[in-house]
Amino acid sequence: MLRCAATVGEAEGEVTLMRNAARRVSLRAAFVLLLVGSLALISTSVAFAQASGQPGGVTAEARDLHKLYLLVLTMALVVFVLVEGALAFMIFRYRRRDDTLPPQTHGNNLLEVVWTTIPIVIVLVLFVFSFITLVNVENDSKPQTLTVDVQGFQWQWAFTYNENDLGPGSDPNAKGTFTITGTAAKEPTLVIPVDEPVEFRLKSTDVIHAFYVPEFLYKLDVIPGRDNRFTVTPTKIGTYTGQCAELCGLNHTLMRFTLQVVSRADFDKFITDQLAAANKSAQRP
Amino acid sequence: MATIAIPKRVGYERPAVLDWLTTVDHKKLGILYLYFTMFFFAVGGILALLVRTQLAVADNNFVSNSMYNQIFTMHASAMLFLFIIPVWAGFGNYIVPLQIGAADMAFPRINALSFWLLPPAGLLMFSGFLVNGGAASAGWTAYSPLARTLGPGMDVWIIAVILLGVSSTIGAANFLVTMLRMRAPGMTMFRMPIFCWTIFVTALLQLLATPVLAAALAMLFIDRNFGGSFFDPNGGGNAVLWQNVFWFYSHPAVYIMILPGMGIVSEILPVFSRKPLFGYKAFVFATLGIGGLGFSVWAHHMFTTGAVLKPFFGFMTFMIGVPTGVKIFNWLATLWRGSITFEPPMLFALGFVSMFLIGGINGTFSAAVPVDFAIHDTYFIVAHIHYVLFGGSVFAVFGGLYYWFPKIWGRRLNDKLGTIQFFLMLVGFNMTFFPMHLLGLTGMPRRIATYPDVRNWELLNGISSAGAFLIAISMIPFLIAVVAAFMRPKDQPNDPWQANTLEWATTSPPPVHNFDEVPEVHSERPLFDLRHGTTARH
Ligand SMILES: [Cu+2]
Repeated sequence: MLRCAATVGEAEGEVTLMRNAARRVSLRAAFVLLLVGSLALISTSVAFAQASGQPGGVTAEARDLHKLYLLVLTMALVVFVLVEGALAFMIFRYRRRDDTLPPQTHGNNLLEVVWTTIPIVIVLVLFVFSFITLVNVENDSKPQTLTVDVQGFQWQWAFTYNENDLGPGSDPNAKGTFTITGTAAKEPTLVIPVDEPVEFRLKSTDVIHAFYVPEFLYKLDVIPGRDNRFTVTPTKIGTYTGQCAELCGLNHTLMRFTLQVVSRADFDKFITDQLAAANKSAQRP
Repeated sequence: MATIAIPKRVGYERPAVLDWLTTVDHKKLGILYLYFTMFFFAVGGILALLVRTQLAVADNNFVSNSMYNQIFTMHASAMLFLFIIPVWAGFGNYIVPLQIGAADMAFPRINALSFWLLPPAGLLMFSGFLVNGGAASAGWTAYSPLARTLGPGMDVWIIAVILLGVSSTIGAANFLVTMLRMRAPGMTMFRMPIFCWTIFVTALLQLLATPVLAAALAMLFIDRNFGGSFFDPNGGGNAVLWQNVFWFYSHPAVYIMILPGMGIVSEILPVFSRKPLFGYKAFVFATLGIGGLGFSVWAHHMFTTGAVLKPFFGFMTFMIGVPTGVKIFNWLATLWRGSITFEPPMLFALGFVSMFLIGGINGTFSAAVPVDFAIHDTYFIVAHIHYVLFGGSVFAVFGGLYYWFPKIWGRRLNDKLGTIQFFLMLVGFNMTFFPMHLLGLTGMPRRIATYPDVRNWELLNGISSAGAFLIAISMIPFLIAVVAAFMRPKDQPNDPWQANTLEWATTSPPPVHNFDEVPEVHSERPLFDLRHGTTARH
C-alpha cells in the first residue's frame, strides 16, 4: 500500500515537473516575444516620430529645442534598454529551478551609493543642457521686433497688427492697424515673414488659453490679467496649423488657426492689402 | 489572578446587511473600500471607453463637444479620487493592522467615517450628469477662471472632492497613529513591512497636502457662489493662483497614488523570488525622499504659464528621478540570484517595474523645461500619467488583489486566468498608451474632442482605441476568476505563498480579533524567521 502510494506520488511528481517545464518554455516564449516586440516598437516609433511632420520644427528656437529633445531621448533610450534588459535577464536567469533557498542578501551600502550617484550624474547633465537651451530660447526680443497682438477668447483667436510695429524700418508715427478675427465658421489666418524675429503678445479677457503651433515646438499660456510674450524666428516658408492647447470650455476643440510663414515681400503685400481694406471699411459711413 | 469567562451574548447577531453598514472592523471596512473602488474603476473605465470611441476615427461625432468635456473630466475624477486614492486606503485598512500585528486601527469609528464619506461623495459627483449643463467639464484639474464660469455640475464636483479630501485626511491621521502606536512588540519602525512604510509616507503627504486642496476648493466655491474673485483678474484676483494651490496638492497626490503601489510590489518581489527586499533602509529613505521632494516640484505642471521659476522646478523635477531610480535598482537587486516563480501577483509586480520605469523615463522629458514647452498639454503627457498611474498603480492594484485574495477571502484566484489577464492587460495597455507618445510629439493637444487626420493621427488613435477595448476584455478572465473563487469553499492555509509578514501568521481570513497569538518580531520578516530560524540583520 505504502509503496504503491509512493510510486503514484513519484509519477505525479514527474507529470508536475513536465508540466512545469512546458510552462516555463511557454513563459520564456512569451517574455522573448514581449522583449523583441517592445524593442521593435520603440525603434519603429522613434523613426516614425522623426518622419512625421516637422520633427526639428520651423524656427531657429525650435532647432535648439529639438537638439535638447534628442539628447533627452538618447539618455532615455539608453536607460530604458539597460534597465529593461537587466530585468529580462533576472527573469530568465533566476527562475526557480529547485527548492533551495537562495543567498539572503539584505543590501549593500556601496551599491546604494553607486546607484544613487549614477542617476544624479545623469540628471545633472540633463539639467545643465536644459538650462542652456532655456536661456537660448527665451532670449528677449529687441525693441524693433515685429509684434503681433494675439487675443484668445472663447472660442477663437484675433490677431492684431500695428503699422508702427512691423519690424525694422516701420514708421513709428504710423497709425494704421487691423485685426483678423476668427469665427466658428472661419478659422483665422496669421501671416508672418520668414527669417525675422516675431514677437507674439498674448492677451485674454475670459479664461486661460494656450497659443500653440506644433512646428514651433513651443506653446505659451494666454492668461487673463497677465502679459505673456515670446519671440520666435521662423526659418521655413510654409503653411501650418495652430491650436489652443489649454482646455477653455465648450468649443476648445475648435480654436484652430492657420499660420502662414511667407517671404518679406509677400508679407508687405499682405499688410498693404489689409490696411487698405481696414481703411475702406473705416471710411464707410 | 482569576480569569473570568465572558458569557457569549445571546440574541446579539445582527442581520448581515446591518452588520456591514455599522461595522467598525478594519477588515470589513477594507473590503467595503475594495468593492467601492473597484466599482468606480469600472465606471471610470466605461467613461474611458467612451472617450476612446469618440477618438477612434478623425472628425468623429459620437458625442458632442459638451459631453466629451464631461466624459474625460469624470473619467479622471472617478479614476483618481474614487478609485486609486481610496483603493490604497482599502488595502491599507485591511493589511496594515495585520502587518503590524494589531487588532484593529487606532480609531475604528473614525475609520468607518472615512469610508462612509465616500459613497455620498461618489453619488454627488456623478449627480452632476443630471443637473443643468451637465457634470463638471473643466478637467480633473478644474482650472480657473474656466471653472468659475461653468454650470452647477461644477459645484457638486467641488463639494464631492472636499468630502473625499476630508475622508482621506482623517484616514491619514488614523493610519499614522495606528502605525506609530500599535505595532507588535519587537517591531521597531525599521522592522515595519515596506507596504506599511509606503502607506505611512502616503498618509503624511495626505495630511500635509489635502487641506491645501480643500482650501483651494473652498475659494473656488466662494468665487462661484458668493461673489469672490480669488481667481478672477477682473475682480483683482489672480488666474494663476489656482494652479499654484491646486498643484501644491495634486503633485504630492501623484505620489499618494503611486507609493502604496510601490509598497505592494516591494512585498511581492521578495516573496516570489525568496529573497529579502534588497536595501530595505535605502528603500524607506527613498520613499521619504520622494515624499519630501514631492512638495517642491508642483510648478512643473505650469512651465507654460510663464509665471514660475522654471530652472528651479526643472531641477527639482529631475532630482525626484533619483530616489525613484534607487527604488528600481533595489527591485532589480532583489530579483538578482533569487529563485523566481511567476504566479499572477509576481507577473503584475514585474509588469509594474517594467511599465513604471517607462513612466519615470518619459517624465524626465517634462523636467527638461524647453522640451516641456513642446510636449506640455499634448498626448505625450497623457501617455506619461497613464504609464505611471495605470502601468504603475493599476498593475499594483491587481498584483495586490491576486496576492492578498487568499488572505482576505480565504480562496485563491485561478493562476491561469490571472496569467491570461496579465498578458492581455499588458498588451492592451501598451497598445493604448504607447502611441500617445507619438501623437504628442507630432503635436496633438489633449482634451480635444475631434482631430483632423494629419501625421497619421487617425492610425495612432485607432490603435489606441483598439488597445482600450483589449484592456476591457482583459477584465473578463479576472471576473471569471473572482466568481469561480467565490463558488469554492474557503480552503486557503494561513500562508499560501510562503510570505514574510505578519498577516500570513493568522488564519485566512483572519478572525475578528486578527490574531490568537502574535509571533515575536526580530526582523522585517517575522514569518521567514519562523520558517528558517532567525537570520535577522535589521
Ligand atoms: Cu482656448
